[in-house]
Amino acid sequence: MATHIPGIYEENLRNSIKSCKLLVVGAGGIGCELLKNLVLTGFEEIEVIDLDTIDVSNLNRQFLFHKQHVGRSKSEVARESALRFNPKAKITAYHDTITKSTYGVPFYQKFTVVMNALDNRAARNHVNRMCLAAGVPLVESGTAGYLGQVTVIQKGLTECYECQPKPTQKTFPGCTIRNTPSEPIHCIVWAKHLFNQLFGEADPDEDVSPDSADPEQVGEAGQSALDDAANDTGNVERVSTRGWATSHDYNSKKLFSKLFSDDIQYLLSMDKLWEKRRRPTPLDWDKIQDKDVIEDGEGLIQDQRPWTITECRDIFNTSVGNLYERLQILDDDTLVWDKDDKDSMDFVTACSNIRAHIFGIQQKTRFDVKSMAGNIVPAIATTNAIIAGLIVLEAMKILQGKIEECKTVYLNRKPNPRKRLLVPCVLDKPNPKCYVCSEKPELCVRLNIEKTTVRTLEDKILKSALNMVAPDVEISDGKGTILISSEEGETEANSDKMLKEFNVVDGTRLNCDDFLQNYTLMVNLIHSDKLEDGVEFEVIGNPDELKKAQEEQAKMDTDAGDSSNGPAGAGASSAVPSDDENDLVCLDDEQDAAKKRKIEEDEERKPAKKLRSATPDDDDIIIL
Amino acid sequence: MESSGTPSCEQSDKSKRYDRQLRLWGDHGQTSLENGHVCLINASAAGTETLKSLVLPGVGAVTIVDDAKKYTFSFHSFFVDSDSVGRPRGEVALRLLLELNLEVRGTFVDQPLQEILDNQPDFFVPFTCVIVTCLPECTLLMLSKVLWEASIPLVVIRSYGMIGYIRVQIEEHAIVESHPDNEMPDLRLDRPFSALQKYMDSLDLDSMDSKEHSHVPYVVILYKHLQIWNQQHGGPPKNYKERKAFIELCKTGMREKENSEIEENFEEAVKAVNTSLLPTSIPSGVQSILNEAASITPSPTTKPFWIMARALHEFVTSEGRGALPVRGTIPDMTADSEKYIKIQNLYREQAAQDADWVLRRVQELSQQLGPRKIVTSLESDIKNFCKNAHALRVIKGKSIAEEYKGSINLGEIGAHLENPESELVWYVMLRAVDQFHSEFRAYPGYFQDQVETDIVRLKVCVNRLLADWGCGPIVKDDFIHEMCRYGAAEVHSVAAYIGGCAAHEVIKIITSQYVPINNTHIYNAITATSETFML
Repeated sequence: MATHIPGIYEENLRNSIKSCKLLVVGAGGIGCELLKNLVLTGFEEIEVIDLDTIDVSNLNRQFLFHKQHVGRSKSEVARESALRFNPKAKITAYHDTITKSTYGVPFYQKFTVVMNALDNRAARNHVNRMCLAAGVPLVESGTAGYLGQVTVIQKGLTECYECQPKPTQKTFPGCTIRNTPSEPIHCIVWAKHLFNQLFGEADPDEDVSPDSADPEQVGEAGQSALDDAANDTGNVERVSTRGWATSHDYNSKKLFSKLFSDDIQYLLSMDKLWEKRRRPTPLDWDKIQDKDVIEDGEGLIQDQRPWTITECRDIFNTSVGNLYERLQILDDDTLVWDKDDKDSMDFVTACSNIRAHIFGIQQKTRFDVKSMAGNIVPAIATTNAIIAGLIVLEAMKILQGKIEECKTVYLNRKPNPRKRLLVPCVLDKPNPKCYVCSEKPELCVRLNIEKTTVRTLEDKILKSALNMVAPDVEISDGKGTILISSEEGETEANSDKMLKEFNVVDGTRLNCDDFLQNYTLMVNLIHSDKLEDGVEFEVIGNPDELKKAQEEQAKMDTDAGDSSNGPAGAGASSAVPSDDENDLVCLDDEQDAAKKRKIEEDEERKPAKKLRSATPDDDDIIIL
Repeated sequence: MESSGTPSCEQSDKSKRYDRQLRLWGDHGQTSLENGHVCLINASAAGTETLKSLVLPGVGAVTIVDDAKKYTFSFHSFFVDSDSVGRPRGEVALRLLLELNLEVRGTFVDQPLQEILDNQPDFFVPFTCVIVTCLPECTLLMLSKVLWEASIPLVVIRSYGMIGYIRVQIEEHAIVESHPDNEMPDLRLDRPFSALQKYMDSLDLDSMDSKEHSHVPYVVILYKHLQIWNQQHGGPPKNYKERKAFIELCKTGMREKENSEIEENFEEAVKAVNTSLLPTSIPSGVQSILNEAASITPSPTTKPFWIMARALHEFVTSEGRGALPVRGTIPDMTADSEKYIKIQNLYREQAAQDADWVLRRVQELSQQLGPRKIVTSLESDIKNFCKNAHALRVIKGKSIAEEYKGSINLGEIGAHLENPESELVWYVMLRAVDQFHSEFRAYPGYFQDQVETDIVRLKVCVNRLLADWGCGPIVKDDFIHEMCRYGAAEVHSVAAYIGGCAAHEVIKIITSQYVPINNTHIYNAITATSETFML
């Protein structure tokens, strides 16, 4: 084996290759290639963890898996297959989620190097913090289509994964989704919400019925009787979508009428909305006529041929039937939306296209809907092979004690003007203001103290936006009031109360601690009642950035008087998406542009709660 | 419902399996790949890595030529397992590779390459592309000559210690879908086709109510203001300064909405000025393809690409009045869908008309070639060709034989070698170890006890090579030591990198999409750097 050739690896390195312990997080596209490289290089102590099972769409690149393995645990099959290349290796496989408390700091401390082969930011953030806490070097990587990236993270020496804030995914205001869609993605998001309302875990934030509290409508005087029908949360007082469907036995024709005729009629009655917009046209099950069969369809596989509205209706019919059957078998449980599940995908494609038709929005093929609904990033074996090769070579430098020689390496789609396909960059120093790896991590969050519950603080801010796993929160008021405890049941009673009820005011500091991540963060609350519609909070960054943001805001107010540009204008430090195209950069040959990009491998697997987000399309999209 | 239009959304197993890559090269790219037959000569680590990345996405067939008789189990090579000790290396590699994808067919040829070259002149004809690793220089030159003459693309790969090398030899490669990075929209506002002009002229911004006004697609806004501008200036804005003035002109057309919001469509129009008002023109690269197409006399052996280019040339000089066919796609814009779809259809219909003209011309040209061999170009191919006309690329390669004969740009080599950041020095080293091998029948450093002698010998080879090129002895000893240290061993991570890159190139070649490297790529794993050269 290569390590036996004394010339290439000197003795020390050869020994450490044999004896060191490695953790590979993820056994997907990069993970498979990486495991293969590791055993073929002669590494013998490897642990691999992945919570996923094998899907058919993995087989075009995750070569340790074959057709007969579909449905089995990725980590376990990867272990078996990799051992064939080197039976001497000792590989431990965990079919599990890395955020479990079993994998605490002592677990990480067993390893010489940790290697990420992940596909989502939440897990990357978590492993980043665990490695910082354990003081173990981390090799981080990602690919998207033809693009890829490898970097090395070591506490105190380099930037951590979270030193440079990354934009969150685009979200849409509830009113746009429920009342006034204008783009295909709005209809797709609506259709996914509808799926959850009907078959999945219903989330009150994902209501799909008309929202009579639309500020555009409500803001006007002389509100009609509509107000009477609405309760204070803005939803028309009636049974939930799920309840309605159940009481009608999920009859697809009745469902269709409610969703695509009655609800649209209701929207039309909110006349303010349509003064400057095209009015939607309610659709009647029996009166669908396909005006023109869409051309350009020949020779394409069915996925890429646009469906007529009749087809959409028929597929709606079939998929509702199938999904309802599956739901009934499950008894009390619910279905989980999956882009690779036929019925789920058919349902979302049909519903989104019917809705698009109603609102005069361009319809999309199933292939495109899948990209948008599933946040699919194209993926191929070649890029993963290249990146996995680079990961091992960086890891070797760490083993040789030359971590300072490690580089962040970017793989371009084609050679740049300087004829470089690879662009290596010196590792950046840690950001002293980083809200994760700095000495005293601190952060400002703007929210409405009177309208934000403790539950929102815990679930949406600390867990979802700031990636804590099980936070303990104490108000820094000198009295040590405990707001949230990670012990089950201890602070349950607080959940539905507003922050205000705990004497939280503008400027209150919260001491948030995650025991598992060994991470303490001071959160400064900034009260605001001027948040944009649909935005519950904004993560601003550290106090300095807040100041900057405020100054900019003040400037903007005087300059333009444009109220639509919220304080999210705080530039890169804001975790709130701006509508600006700039946060999505199609990476090309500019190596400077390449410098700061971070990549998500494969599709984003988001928990159900985050479904209201999407990337615009499938091509090489890199988050800057 | 008729059979072809069945609304069944059953995704075939295949499209599920290939879903993530179809998003890069489309169904037609996948079809080309599935019609491809790739030959690998020598199942080394880099060789099998390359094949693996071709079998997974579903190349049609693979053939492995390898005469390594018995495989002794070690980890040097990749697709071998412990059960296979004693079996021929190529056979084992093929069996394990085919397990990855049951759709792929495979053949193993247990014969020395030299024998094939000597006795079976037509052996390589069926292949879409040949990949080769670990060949002695003289055999490589013979192979490259055979393939060059047969116009079969050759990809030479090496994984040598910490150095990787890829050389693409391709006589001529035409790319229809080059996937350029920054595509400008093709809106023809400076020279509207008659249907577009007629429609645009039928609209009147001033008489629109505020709802309609704020939902007019921005192409209309640009068109209307361009008319005003042209009256004042006698032609479209030509430079940055004029475009800036044009933006101001557009802004004057904006109406204030009641809630003092800005009209989004006007905002978009202003943003689009810089990309949408560029004069309609033919890029110089495309023009030279058209010129070349004009100069050829179509014959039965003319490739379909050139027949289409010929027809395209004729289109430009007649029907197109100096412009390429209309592309037929327009960017998304804030608009009411009726107008947007109407405009979209105008562009689409014009594109279809233009493509139709080219199609008819291709058919005429084919018929003139006589019934013996009609160049078959599908209608969809021609549509695709016209749609991508602005980004056509043709690569003219150079044979390895010519490169080795010393037709390299000597001045450039000298300059590169003096630049410490250039990777070209590794090219020199790889050439030198090949000469070393020809002379001593082993690679430098292969036998551990001879390293010291080999260093001296390799230095001689390097300096001889440099002298042949007219360069001084400018290569530092460090490189020579480093090369001898490797002893020609394959480091798997380097093989993985090279295999991934080489498979990328092969896919580009087979699908005629994206632009392949022309012609040499060097990878340096010590510094994680790479560079491409035209040698």
